[in-house]
Amino acid sequence: MQMRSFTDYLRSVDDAALLELFTHRADLISPVPSDMASLAVRACSAPSLARAIDGLNQWQFQVLEACAVINEPFSEKQIVAITEKAAVDVLPELIVRGLLYPSDDGMRLPNSVREVLGNEIAGLGPATMAKLNLKKLDEAPDSAKKVLERLIWGPPRGSVGDIKNPGPGVTWLLEENFMVPLDQRTVILPREVGIYLRGGKVHKEREVTPPEIKGSKRDDRNVQLAAIANVATVLRWADEILEYWAQEPADALRAGGLGVRDLKIIATHMGIDENCAAFIAELVYLAGLVTIDADDKILPTNNFDIWLTQKPSVRWQAIAAPWLITSRVSGLVGRAESKNTAALGPELDRVNAASTRALVLKLLAENKKIAPELESFTKHVKWCSPSKRNPGLQEEMVQWTLREAEWLGITGQGVISKYGQEFLSGEDLDIIDADLPQPVDHILIQSDNTAIAPGPLVHDVAAVLAIIGDIESRGGATVYRFTDATIRRGLDHGKTGDEIIDFLRKTSKTPIPQPLEYLISDVAKKHGRLRVGNTSSFIRCEDPALITQIISDKRLDILSLRRIAPEVMICDMDAHDVMNVLRNAGYLPAAESNNGLLLTGPRSSRAQSKPRPPRIIGELEVPTDAALSAAIRTIRVGEKSSHKQSTLRNIANNALGALPRTTANETLDVLLKYIQEQRSLSIGYADNNGAVSHRIIDPLKISAGSLIARDHGTGEMQTFRIPRITGVAPL
Amino acid sequence: MTDGPLIVQSDKTLLLDIDHAMSTECRRAIAPFAELERSPEHIHTYRLTNLGLWNARAAGHDAEMVIDTLIKYSRYAVPHSILVDVAETMSRYGRLRLEADPIHGLILVTTDTAVLEEVIRAKKIAPLLGVRIDNETIAVHPSQRGQIKQSLLRLGWPAEDFAGYVDGQAHEIALKQTDWKIRPYQELAAEGFWHGGSGVVVLPCGAGKTIVGAAAMAHAKATTLILVTNTVAARQWREELLKRTTLNEDEIGEYSGAKKEIRPVTIATYQVMTKKKDGVYAHLDLFDTHDWGLIIYDEVHLLPAPIFRFTADIQSRRRLGLTATLVREDGMEGEVFSLIGPKRFDVPWKEIESQGYIAPAQCVEVRVNLSETERLSYATAEPEERYRFCATTRTKRNVVESLVAHHAGEQILVIGQYIDQLDELSEVLGVPLIKGETPVKEREVLFNKFRSGEISCLVVSKVANFSIDLPDATIAIQVSGAFGSRQEEAQRLGRILRPKSDGRSATFYSVVSRDTIDQDFAQNRQRFLAEQGYAYKIIDADDVFQGKL
Repeated sequence: MQMRSFTDYLRSVDDAALLELFTHRADLISPVPSDMASLAVRACSAPSLARAIDGLNQWQFQVLEACAVINEPFSEKQIVAITEKAAVDVLPELIVRGLLYPSDDGMRLPNSVREVLGNEIAGLGPATMAKLNLKKLDEAPDSAKKVLERLIWGPPRGSVGDIKNPGPGVTWLLEENFMVPLDQRTVILPREVGIYLRGGKVHKEREVTPPEIKGSKRDDRNVQLAAIANVATVLRWADEILEYWAQEPADALRAGGLGVRDLKIIATHMGIDENCAAFIAELVYLAGLVTIDADDKILPTNNFDIWLTQKPSVRWQAIAAPWLITSRVSGLVGRAESKNTAALGPELDRVNAASTRALVLKLLAENKKIAPELESFTKHVKWCSPSKRNPGLQEEMVQWTLREAEWLGITGQGVISKYGQEFLSGEDLDIIDADLPQPVDHILIQSDNTAIAPGPLVHDVAAVLAIIGDIESRGGATVYRFTDATIRRGLDHGKTGDEIIDFLRKTSKTPIPQPLEYLISDVAKKHGRLRVGNTSSFIRCEDPALITQIISDKRLDILSLRRIAPEVMICDMDAHDVMNVLRNAGYLPAAESNNGLLLTGPRSSRAQSKPRPPRIIGELEVPTDAALSAAIRTIRVGEKSSHKQSTLRNIANNALGALPRTTANETLDVLLKYIQEQRSLSIGYADNNGAVSHRIIDPLKISAGSLIARDHGTGEMQTFRIPRITGVAPL
Repeated sequence: MTDGPLIVQSDKTLLLDIDHAMSTECRRAIAPFAELERSPEHIHTYRLTNLGLWNARAAGHDAEMVIDTLIKYSRYAVPHSILVDVAETMSRYGRLRLEADPIHGLILVTTDTAVLEEVIRAKKIAPLLGVRIDNETIAVHPSQRGQIKQSLLRLGWPAEDFAGYVDGQAHEIALKQTDWKIRPYQELAAEGFWHGGSGVVVLPCGAGKTIVGAAAMAHAKATTLILVTNTVAARQWREELLKRTTLNEDEIGEYSGAKKEIRPVTIATYQVMTKKKDGVYAHLDLFDTHDWGLIIYDEVHLLPAPIFRFTADIQSRRRLGLTATLVREDGMEGEVFSLIGPKRFDVPWKEIESQGYIAPAQCVEVRVNLSETERLSYATAEPEERYRFCATTRTKRNVVESLVAHHAGEQILVIGQYIDQLDELSEVLGVPLIKGETPVKEREVLFNKFRSGEISCLVVSKVANFSIDLPDATIAIQVSGAFGSRQEEAQRLGRILRPKSDGRSATFYSVVSRDTIDQDFAQNRQRFLAEQGYAYKIIDADDVFQGKL
């Protein structure tokens, strides 16, 4: 069988090769294509190719570019000639990825690879038709040489004032066909000339090996110490942000996410910068520890309670694992150019985030002896994954990932830590529990009314202290300050003064200073002296005897009165109802207003809201002349167009009957075949209104979802949108 | 994880466990760069501040040494962000240098042109600069030396001052240690100052700051200008200098409201220096009349603004600031740093107490209840009158009477803010009163009588807050104060901290009205001392009446 097309190639390879193709390009089997033809179509589609090309490193990419600039079919030798010897090793890698395939007469690129690579591949212009004597270039006049120097490394286009009257250099080049006019003002350097001037090579620098990662050495012990400090810190931050939101839930923005103000608040509260605060907020959000509630409040979830009881290693794993795979980029929050991007908001997803992050971490793990220096590290990352689409973001992503890895403790002082290594290789994280400072269960109370927990506190003690003291300083230790306000808070939480003193006595390793004990009992003595409550109505009387009579009156039990002073009772019922009940029982109550005035006279109420009378629905107004004529005009125009459409629909139906219908995949497959064979065919093509017309065409190429072909009917080049091609048939 | 005595917190505070075996060693190691914030009984709190770190740079320590120290003594791993921050902050110091230049006088030189470009564009800096000499150098008018240092500090680019000091007119001064010996910490303080060039020495009241001043003068061996708070203090300085140094009476002059002597060693009061005549400070010229080799600022925490301004102009002279508390309620600590100099020496009060150089003291807060009628009048008093009202309540008088009776036979000072209250107390107790209008002569007579034991009790107003040397006073009773001033409280306690001949401990009573603004102020006033480890025992007035002390 003759093997020329990519489909033919795919049909010819064995299962192992297909397996490898699918490992590199997982998108090809999602969903699984029905046959080889549709596999080939999918593999040649622009999105899939772009994805595959994104997966290449810089050297592979350069070789692919070199393949794309020479004429098909080509040989290994030709590629080596315009690149480096090392290209020999790369070609099979390209073949494995389905970006290059061997055919009977040499190697070829699948359709569309060139389109995906762009117009001026490697900064080279199109091939010329003319026969060139390239040797003459060496004797080009100086003026021409100057022009060539400008264009040699691309872009190959240059603009001239007027093509009819260019400078002497350009004139010579145009005469010799070393330069081709593109339009009135633009000239272009043909590919052959470019390659010749580049000394027979395609690229200025052939980056066969990645640039070296530079960095500084760190003492291993300090690295681990710094990393475990980071682990402890990030856990504490997560704890704090959640505790804070549990007390003071933040309001989500209408567009979703955490507002700038609330971000600032938590950043100040935790004493960290806003970038870090946004990162922590995203971490707990990804871990499901916080959610945006139905009423747009940002609140900790039930998982937080479970999380609190877990071992540190499990807690850390719970926040670090989602970060590894998320496509959300918290670094975007608060940048000058994306002011409205909010943490927890909908705009943080970026396509290459997870892959860049994975690549950065992989490189960190590979260079475990050094703290990489950002510039060389970024260059290396760029070599490994030259991002075509958003190179700026990629650079920032590298920086952010390094920063975030440090915050998480995956690195310590910039070097990957043993915790990071275990984590990335999916090992058990028990070492975190072992290396974190062991929790303490005691505090030291000092005479300036502060208490110091000289290490992470066990949960129960910390919870009580958080109520009866204000945290003044956080870190490895915690400093609490007791004031009358905090003691009062403890009392409000239902503790008695003696309980607080007992608790402190039990937990403190040092005796409680007298002033603190005095403070607690002093506040406890005063607590609850002033009381506030809700009630609906009150009954008061200057004569306490009458009050006593009312409260003991069995008929008034329904009011469930409570006497709060000799002369005052309160009731949960409305004053109006209370008056009625009292009257029925034979008492003579009078109403009193809020400011203590006696309300007398008949009760005559008024509404609080503004009057809003119902709309009157009656006869329609007679329309004006202008309105009438406009209405007629509208109806006429509408009628005309619907008549035209029904006519068109008839034509379409006829046409459809005459054409064989093919599926989208068949259409593409046939088109590709006809393009290669350069034969004419007939298609059905739907226009803007859905009318299908029958065309005879010569297909030329497919690019970006369109077919460019010569239409026999008009004799002109025309672009056909592929989804609108209803069917194809050979002539 | 090590088992060090230090815990480095993420808010840049350092907690030092003083019961730890290595605590003394660690305290010495961190003292050059961390500011002691609190020193109660178990855990001392230090803080890493920009000023402190720049101080350390000025004293020749680098970031690496700071980081190594933190890591070495830290119990837990040190947060990375702190280390980065330390390195960051310290690297800002010294990018700009002030140097003497034979042609331009004074120049600002940089190693980092970007920084220079940044600062010369700052609004506050531009007017202080002269001609641009080259990319890295710009001329500064010598008289702006202080101003520019102050402004650069505010911008966060403190300049290292290499311009040096003038020696001043030489004058032989030496310590005369015949019947006494300079204490080790005093010597350390004087040396710390001398090696640093200029700066502030912080020592508790009663710890002998005058001797530090005298030792500094003995180092300088040059004419000296000493600025003190008031005339009584000036006389005390004079006597102390006569006793401790080789100076004789003719060499020491007093420049005050009463006398205007200018001698090789001149003691001037802040009051006369800041006195205005026809809208100008007539006496500020004193700074220029002599080629002073050393200027000493006593009680530098009280330094008034005009002196600050003038100090800015004399940056080429050595300056020594002395104080017990660098806390300024007006937050001008930065000014002190840039104009007088960085803190050169600091030591916890309790440490000096344990060495026996200051008397141990007990602080007691006596809470009195307002009577029912007083409570009613307090509740309805105008806000600005409230403090005065509750601070001068009658009940306090009874408490003071009981306390004085209880401590009969000891030397007692009753200190207050409001003159009416003090007049009344002096009458009730039958003891003399010293207030602002008491002539200096009479004051001296009374103080001398008190020292000799002829009088055992004195009522004093705020004039006796500072610098009054009353060695045998053992009891101080404070009835009212300048609102919530922390340093006033410390100064007042200082009055009774001179070591007693019989090794007795002192007691400081603060009488406070319960549940009033007086109590809130008292809490703030006590903060500094509580942080120094002076625990206030709180008792009720009834305990005093029943003699349960």
